[in-house]
Amino acid sequence: MKEILEKIKTKYEVTDVLQKRADLLFFTIDKKMVLDILNYLKELEGFTHLVMLSSVDWLEENKFQLTYIINHPINKHDIAIRVDLNRDEATMDSIHHIWIHAETDQREIKELFGIDFPGSPGVDEDFVLEDWDEIPPMRRDFDTLEYSERTFFPRDGRKTYDTKEYMKSKLYPDDKQ
Amino acid sequence: MSIKDILSPFSAWKKVIKDPVTVKDPFNDRPGAPRYRGFHKNELDKCIGCGACEEICQNAAIDMVPVEGIETVEGDSGLRPMVDYGRCCWCALCVDICSTNSLTLSNEYTWIDSDPDVFRFIPGYDKKEWDNSKLGWTKPKNYDLNTYERVEMKELHPEERDKSFIEFVKGYSKEQAEAEADRCIDCGLCTATCPAHMSIPEYIKAIRNDDMEEGLRIMYETNPLPEICGRICTHKCETVCAIGHKGEPLSIRWLKRYIADQVPESKYKEVLEQGLEITPKSKKVAIIGSGPSGLSAAYYLSRMGYATKIFESLPEAGGMMRYGIPSYRLPYDQIDKDINYILSCGVEIEYNVKIGKDITIEQLEKDYDAVFSGTGLHLGRSTRIPGSEHENVFFATDLLREISLGTEIKVDEKIVVIGGGNVAMDITRSLARLQNQKYGKVDVLATCLEAEDIMPADREEVVEAREEKAIVDPGWGPKDIKIENGKIKGLNVVKCLSVFDDEGRFSPKFDEDKKKFFPAEMVVESIGQGMDLTYIDSIKDKLEFSDRGRIVVNEKYQSSLPWFFVGGDIIKGPDVINGIANGHIAAKGIDEFLNKK
Amino acid sequence: MFSIKEDRSKFPTKKADGTLDIDLDSQKYVKIWQGPNHPGITGNMALELTVSGDEVVQSKTHVGYLYRAFEKLMERRKFIQCFPICIRMCVPEPDINEYLLAASVEELGGIEVPEMAEWLRTLVLEMARVTILLRGVPGQGGTMSLGMGVQWGVYVRDLMLDRFEELTGGRVYHMYIAPGGVRGLLPSGFKDRMEEVLKKVDEFVVDIDNLMFNNAVFKVRTKGVGIIDKDWIDQYSVVGPNARAAGIMRDVRKDYPYLKYDQLDFEPHTETDSDIYARSRVRWHDLQTSVDLIRQIMAKMPEKGEIRAKTPNVLHWKIPKGETYQRIESSRGEYGFYMVTDGSAYPRRINLRGPSYNSAMVLLEKMLVNANISDVSSLMVSLATCPPEIER
Repeated sequence: MKEILEKIKTKYEVTDVLQKRADLLFFTIDKKMVLDILNYLKELEGFTHLVMLSSVDWLEENKFQLTYIINHPINKHDIAIRVDLNRDEATMDSIHHIWIHAETDQREIKELFGIDFPGSPGVDEDFVLEDWDEIPPMRRDFDTLEYSERTFFPRDGRKTYDTKEYMKSKLYPDDKQ
Repeated sequence: MSIKDILSPFSAWKKVIKDPVTVKDPFNDRPGAPRYRGFHKNELDKCIGCGACEEICQNAAIDMVPVEGIETVEGDSGLRPMVDYGRCCWCALCVDICSTNSLTLSNEYTWIDSDPDVFRFIPGYDKKEWDNSKLGWTKPKNYDLNTYERVEMKELHPEERDKSFIEFVKGYSKEQAEAEADRCIDCGLCTATCPAHMSIPEYIKAIRNDDMEEGLRIMYETNPLPEICGRICTHKCETVCAIGHKGEPLSIRWLKRYIADQVPESKYKEVLEQGLEITPKSKKVAIIGSGPSGLSAAYYLSRMGYATKIFESLPEAGGMMRYGIPSYRLPYDQIDKDINYILSCGVEIEYNVKIGKDITIEQLEKDYDAVFSGTGLHLGRSTRIPGSEHENVFFATDLLREISLGTEIKVDEKIVVIGGGNVAMDITRSLARLQNQKYGKVDVLATCLEAEDIMPADREEVVEAREEKAIVDPGWGPKDIKIENGKIKGLNVVKCLSVFDDEGRFSPKFDEDKKKFFPAEMVVESIGQGMDLTYIDSIKDKLEFSDRGRIVVNEKYQSSLPWFFVGGDIIKGPDVINGIANGHIAAKGIDEFLNKK
Repeated sequence: MFSIKEDRSKFPTKKADGTLDIDLDSQKYVKIWQGPNHPGITGNMALELTVSGDEVVQSKTHVGYLYRAFEKLMERRKFIQCFPICIRMCVPEPDINEYLLAASVEELGGIEVPEMAEWLRTLVLEMARVTILLRGVPGQGGTMSLGMGVQWGVYVRDLMLDRFEELTGGRVYHMYIAPGGVRGLLPSGFKDRMEEVLKKVDEFVVDIDNLMFNNAVFKVRTKGVGIIDKDWIDQYSVVGPNARAAGIMRDVRKDYPYLKYDQLDFEPHTETDSDIYARSRVRWHDLQTSVDLIRQIMAKMPEKGEIRAKTPNVLHWKIPKGETYQRIESSRGEYGFYMVTDGSAYPRRINLRGPSYNSAMVLLEKMLVNANISDVSSLMVSLATCPPEIER
């Protein structure tokens, strides 16, 4: 793993390197270099297996993180490449020409996070949602509880009491402490 | 493709002669496994309504609701869990987290009804046929979702502490405090029991979030003496802690001390007065005594904008906290830290003034709009046994006060202390230290009527006294002090069988045949304290007194004279936290009274 | 009378942009939907098939009938509260989710699980594999109306569920592998009762061999049908039994040993033909491997031991900021959790990746082209499609 990292470091600028396990390495790379490095790792280093493409919403920092986890099936180790995207203009180059099945990941991320991958086959089609006119639901600012209260019917007659407040009302109600 | 591939599938015909594998009536014949997670059961008497089950339920299937026949008392909220089977997923996390192990699941799994509302029920209260089922899911052995042992508090070793009056409890480190705070389940049962109703779960949460300033602000809402309470509070809260049912309750007192210790005195003003605006009021309040109730009343009145002045008969403020509690438990610099802050809030104080002697109560009434009195219990009470009038028989309160004032007191080689409360332990342990300093050995014995298990002193006080080589021999009634040639020889005692009668009244019974003699040269009596109310002699006729000689006050601690409020040990307690609580309530009462005036 | 020469004139030609030129009005093509509720479908998923005659010319997988947003819901739940909910992401084999959640939380939270708990986890995971394969192996025959094997399998599976019930307290959702440990030791007499069930599985293995694998009809319908080209394994990230049927060894238990698999003796089976028959055969061997593994585990595991590591109070258990990827060998191949934490008491992101995500979407769409309609179900089942892991 170390050798690969050294090789990558000579070619690309990597930050936030994290050797999570002996067989799992994380690092962050600039958005523009991703296709390049994925091609390089797949074709020349043997990381032929795309495990997943995932995304994380860091709302507080106004960024999306995309994580490409790729696996070397022979040497049996993984590299997870992180990319930070600006939340306001969330677009990323598609990798469906490197791994065909990445189109599903990209379609899902487009729908659930609102990150666009122009050129990815079927990226604009509905994946799991239908007639969805809210913000993309996996974004941190989408409140599931508020949505379900607005959309569905709550069951009548449910009421719960806060232990502390209830004991106050029973044991020392006059004392407005 | 071979002929075998044609014939082989026909081997299935052998099953034709086999018995069917299905069971005829699965509903009656097949009970769930002994660990099956079926329908809920709850032992209502064991349940304390802490709400941990509601907290952990990820489906929001549990509501805490009042139940007929279950009273809200200290340590039991009176609420019981109601489960909504429209949401429950039978994960049994509620069972695993249950503070008392009262909530379990039975192995019953069929329940048919046409009314959907019956599936929302209160286990244990709504009677079900599986209530008595023995089988079903209970919390697995050696499987706990919380820690039930306390984080141990580091103390000075008995050998290091028994010669000096330096504080021996070291206090928690950050890691220790956070680990201890982590055990809290935020139920809030403690708040109701705390006389001052402190927001205990909230300040413990502040420790978890490592936000000491927030913690301090929360504490000052209900208690202006956190350094002091964090050391010597009687911590009634810990007796009702939900965690205490399965293990050791949280060290709430030490956590309170931890917060106060972390904020330096110099930052108090900045932390506590952020965004605070006080509109000064024209009215003035006099406060007699600077004990916990007086200080508490003064602090909250000054926050409301009243000009307050404390009259203290002794040279320094603090009352019993300074003059009754030994400094190895409560160091003077910590008392000063709390009091200095209160005094910095515009509270005036005059020392060495005795009301009734230097200033009359009438004068106070004239000069001020209201008076609060928290003069406390400073008079020792005598056993009145033969020999107790000897000059070498002392009251514990007098000795403790003199130690604090720095006066040298008489310490003999052999001492007996009569009394089993915290004050008795304080004087025993103080005398042990003084003996150690003077003679290099300890020979002090404490005895009391109550047997070991019902001794009024806190358990740790007794244990620590013994660690410091003092002898505690409870369960004996003092008979007389043996005096020969004008010198005390010792104390004769008889076995005490019981202290209270069936109705709970004080009426000790003795076995006169079982005797014991404790040799001693000096005897200290510590069987309770009395109050000195001579300063109000002139207004006595206008006040009401109870059968036990206490001034009668309303729920706002207002006496029959509207301008005269009374609090502290002479009304309720005796302990610091009750004093703080009634000082605070009286402050609100005074505010109401002055607003109407 | 019948021409055996295929008439390719009916088939669509490619347009300039590479898409097929399908004109439904030409009446050459019919669009039919297989699913979402169709007996040959493995759950709530739909295949939009464009057929010409009885041959598929285009297929499109549609999901969304089962989306429950579990990944989102878990972001709003404490770590311990995720545990009863994550299992629902794969209904027939829930234990793999329990393990992955626990393993991720423990790795990021720095928790060391006791030895005994690790053995019990291994046992439960193998029991779960047996349970799902008892339905999955005969299920391949089921897609060709050979329902008898399915019924035999369901009976034996039920006996295995009884063992689950007495060990974990639940039959389908076991909720046993909680973060920090497991929720109970083996009940007394468990091993004997388990051995009885394993004997039934052994019988079933022989029976299904006779009924299904040595069956002329089954062989005709599966041999040489639905071949996954060896090159596609990397291209489509094919994993587990599907890869092993093509002669490529992929088994997380061997490649990245977790729990106690490094102390167990087993060799995952491989085939070379890579057709439906080969994939089915690999699963049949997997079933026997798992039975053997359960016997090994029960012989090697200690009798007693701690079942739970000391963790902070689960009601406010905060996990330090970090991220990790944990994988496990499910009955369908590599199955993983990508977990990101931000130092709070709630996960920032949990992302699940199951093998069906690739195989039932892009790969299946490719494989169905030129397939006969009657083979669609068996092709899909042979890939071990599990819709709940596509849409969590």
